[in-house]
Order: sequence, then structure tokens, then C-alpha cells
Amino acid sequence: MRGEAMIEIKDVHKSFGTLEVLKGINLSLEKGKALAIIGPSGSGKTTLLRCFNLLEQPDRGQMTIGGTTLHFQPGSSIRQADTLALRKRTGMVFQSFHLFPHMTAVQNVMEAQVTVQGKSKAAARERAEALLAKVGLADKADSYSHQLSGGQQQRVAIARAMAVDPDVMLFDEPTSALDPELVGDVLKVIRQLAAEGMTMIIVTHEMRFAEQVADYVVLMDDGIIVEEGPPQQVIGNPQSQRAIQFLNRVTNYDVT
Amino acid sequence: MSEKQIDILLDSILPLLKAGVAFTIPLTIVSFVLGMIVAVLTALARLSSLWPLRAVAGFYVWIIRCTPLLVQLFIIFYGLPYIGIVLSSFTAATIGFTLSVGAYGSEIVRASIQSIPKGQWEAASSLGMTRVQTLRRIVFPQAARISLPPLGNSFISLLKDTSLAGSIMYLELFRVSQEIVARTYEPLLIYCAAAVVYLLFCSVLTWLQSTMEKRLARYSAS
Ligand SMILES: Nc1ncnc2c1ncn2[C@@H]1O[C@H](COP(=O)(O)OP(=O)(O)OP(=O)(O)O)[C@@H](O)[C@H]1O
Ligand SMILES: [Mg+2]
Repeated sequence: MRGEAMIEIKDVHKSFGTLEVLKGINLSLEKGKALAIIGPSGSGKTTLLRCFNLLEQPDRGQMTIGGTTLHFQPGSSIRQADTLALRKRTGMVFQSFHLFPHMTAVQNVMEAQVTVQGKSKAAARERAEALLAKVGLADKADSYSHQLSGGQQQRVAIARAMAVDPDVMLFDEPTSALDPELVGDVLKVIRQLAAEGMTMIIVTHEMRFAEQVADYVVLMDDGIIVEEGPPQQVIGNPQSQRAIQFLNRVTNYDVT
Repeated sequence: MSEKQIDILLDSILPLLKAGVAFTIPLTIVSFVLGMIVAVLTALARLSSLWPLRAVAGFYVWIIRCTPLLVQLFIIFYGLPYIGIVLSSFTAATIGFTLSVGAYGSEIVRASIQSIPKGQWEAASSLGMTRVQTLRRIVFPQAARISLPPLGNSFISLLKDTSLAGSIMYLELFRVSQEIVARTYEPLLIYCAAAVVYLLFCSVLTWLQSTMEKRLARYSAS
């Protein structure tokens, strides 16, 4: 691909027991671009996303993020220091938020700045408050997660992930646990990040959103990438039979 | 109640309270604090990925849970001198109760740690936090809140169990009441008085426990 590759993975394989979930994935993404991963349930989207910050360790293959390259082989594990270094470069937003419930919103956003980056509390708080303001939650800084709506929790989670200045943001269906009326606020925040040039990978079922935000789309099925390219092409004019079937099911478009 | 009985009662109350404050309470607090340290370390050992640690911790919990506390105290106090280890009754009792709190407490702590959803670990990991940081900052504070009610119960049980230390010459509340009975021949009166003192201590602890639970429950949905 053109430009400087922020992320590149080659021939990534991952199995759970005898179930091969990723069957040789190749991907690369330039700095500042947004990639959407779409595909049917169970196709391996979440597993792939989790490989990018080593919540799952690939069995085989190679992965480069922001200049750090890791090689994976069966039986060998990645050094703890490399794992931590890679995780500092990536920010992860989970489907079900996973805010720390014993901390307020602002404390959630401060936590890694203090424990991981070693910032002072005052500096961390300042940045946390700025990030909460950015996601539209300046007034919720002192709320605990049970006092927030799902959409608000997810926006705090986005601020939390952004707080350690990642090179890449990873989103795993960030809106699929939300009531429909709360989806818009979260998508707006992600759209804004994309517009600001944040490199991001988004697993999503929201085809319209993928079309609007993503520079590239990959469509996965059964552990492989069956279609990839700009959204107009993948979502608007898919070639493979599997892609056509999937898109027919999830969109109103007639793509045949 | 006769006048004589009232006199005996009045004369006994102070020694009973004193035994409670000077012997029962210190033994309870020291054993509990040390026991909690043992409990947390044991819980971590049992959750460790290193099998020797798991094995040692599992063996310890097995021994303590499957033998009577009174027998353990007798071994420590009356048995160990035969291999040259002579302990004061306070030390022996503290060791016995610490090991007991450590074993039972470790099960509570372990269950609380395991009940913290995997997502909490993953969220912390994805922020670049180490395992130790995650335990300290994310898992322990939440596990503490979950384990507080059962640990509070352990503490209250311990207060009452310290009466067993009387049998290894420790002059705690129950032993003192026995000595008064031996002198006065008023078992009903004196043992009831001792029970009332336990009741008093226990009520204070129960109140403390619920106060702490309320403080820690601040962040949970009400
Ligand atoms: N930890 C695990 N252990 C065993 N099997 C797993 C594990 N995680 C995922 N799988 C399996 O791997 C396959 C791919 O799962 P994955 O979560 O990556 O799919 P997905 O594309 O994200 O699906 P969805 O759209 O439903 O979220 C599924 O068959 C799933 O059951
Ligand atoms: Mg998924």
C-alpha cells in the first residue's frame, strides 16, 4: 500500500484448540487511515482485532506496529517487555466497555497515565478532563460507571484508551451493546477521531458507518479475508459470492 | 439473685472485661492481620501459574482445614517443645490462629479474585498495565469489596474462637471466667457474664463491619 504502513501483518494464524480461527491474514494500514473489518458472526473479526494488542497471541505470522516487528512461532511466546511495548502503542475499545467500576470516569482515564506512563496525578487529571470534554462528558468526570448510560460509558472507555496516546485505536463493535438511540453519540466521537487523523481499526456491523468513516474495508469469512478495498468497492460492489451473501443479509442494498 | 451473687458478679465484671481487652482482643486483631497477609499470599499462590506454588499452598490449606483448630494449638504449644521449640502461649496461639485465618481466608480471597470479570484484566492489559499493576490497582480493590462481608464473618468467628486459647494457658476472657467459677462456684452467673462480654465485643465488630461495607460499596449500583 501507499504511504507509511503503521500496521502490517503477514500470514497470521490463530487456532483455539483444533479450531483454526485465523487462516493466514495479511493486512496493512497506513498512518492516519481507518480500516473497517466486517463479516459474519464467528468469522474471526474479534480474534484478529485482539491479536493486534496481543490479548490473543497469534500462533504463526508476523506483525509490525509503528516500527516494532514481532514474529510468532508455535511454542515460543513473546517477551513480556515486547508485549507491554506493543500494548502502549494500541488503544482498545471493547464491545462491553469494561470500565473500572471502582473508579470515577476521570479516574478511569487517569489510571494508565499514572501507572503506565508515570505521569503526575495533576498532569494526568488535566489530560483526562480534556479528553472527557472531547467526548462530550466534561460534566460526568466524577460519575461512577453505574451512574452512566451505556453510550456514556463507551465514550469514557474511548477517552481511557486515547489517554496513553496510542498510535492505533482498535474498536470491537463499539456500539453493538448500546440502545439504538445511544449509538449516534459514540459514532460521532469515533468519526471525529478519524477526521483528526487517528489510525484506527474498527470491527463493526454498522455498514453505513463503515462506508462513511473507513478508508478501507476488509470482509472476513471463516478466518480469511474474502474481499478488501475502499468501501464503495467492498460494500457497494462486492465480487465474491460469500461477500454478496453477507452484504445482502446485513444491508438493504441490492448488491447482486 | 442473692446479695452475695450480686457482689460476685460486680467483682467479676472488671476482671472479665480486662481479660477481654488485654488478651482476647489483641490476640484476635494480631492473628487476623497476620492471617490476612497469609491469606492473600496463599490465594495468589493458588492462582499462580507455577505448579510448585499451587501445590504448597493447596497442601497448607488442606492440612489446616481438615484438622481441628484445638489439635493444632496443642501441637504448637505442647508438642513443639519436644523438638526444642518452646513458645509462649500468646505466640503459640497467634501462630495457630494466623494459620487458620490464612487458610480459610485464602479461599475467600481466591474466590473474590476469580469473580472479577476477565474484561477487567483485559481492559487493564490493553492499557499496558502489568499483571502486578492490574492486581494492585484494578483487581484487589474490587475483590476487597466482594470479600469484605465473608471476611468480616471470619473476624467475628475468630473473636469467639480465641476462647480455645484458654486451653493452652492463655489468660483470655473464657479462661478467666473458668478461674472465677472455680473460686466462686457460680457457673451460670459467671459464664453468662462472660457471654455478655463476648456479645458486647461482637456487636462492636458487627457495627464496624457494616460501616466499612457501606464505605466500600460507594461505587456499586444501589
Ligand atoms: N477464547 C476462545 N476459545 C475458544 N474458541 C474461541 C475463543 N474466542 C473465539 N473463539 C471462536 O473463534 C471463532 C471466531 O470468533 P470471533 O469472536 O473472532 O468471531 P467474530 O467474527 O468476532 O464474531 P462476532 O461477529 O459474533 O463477534 C468462533 O467460532 C469462536 O467460537
Ligand atoms: Mg466479535
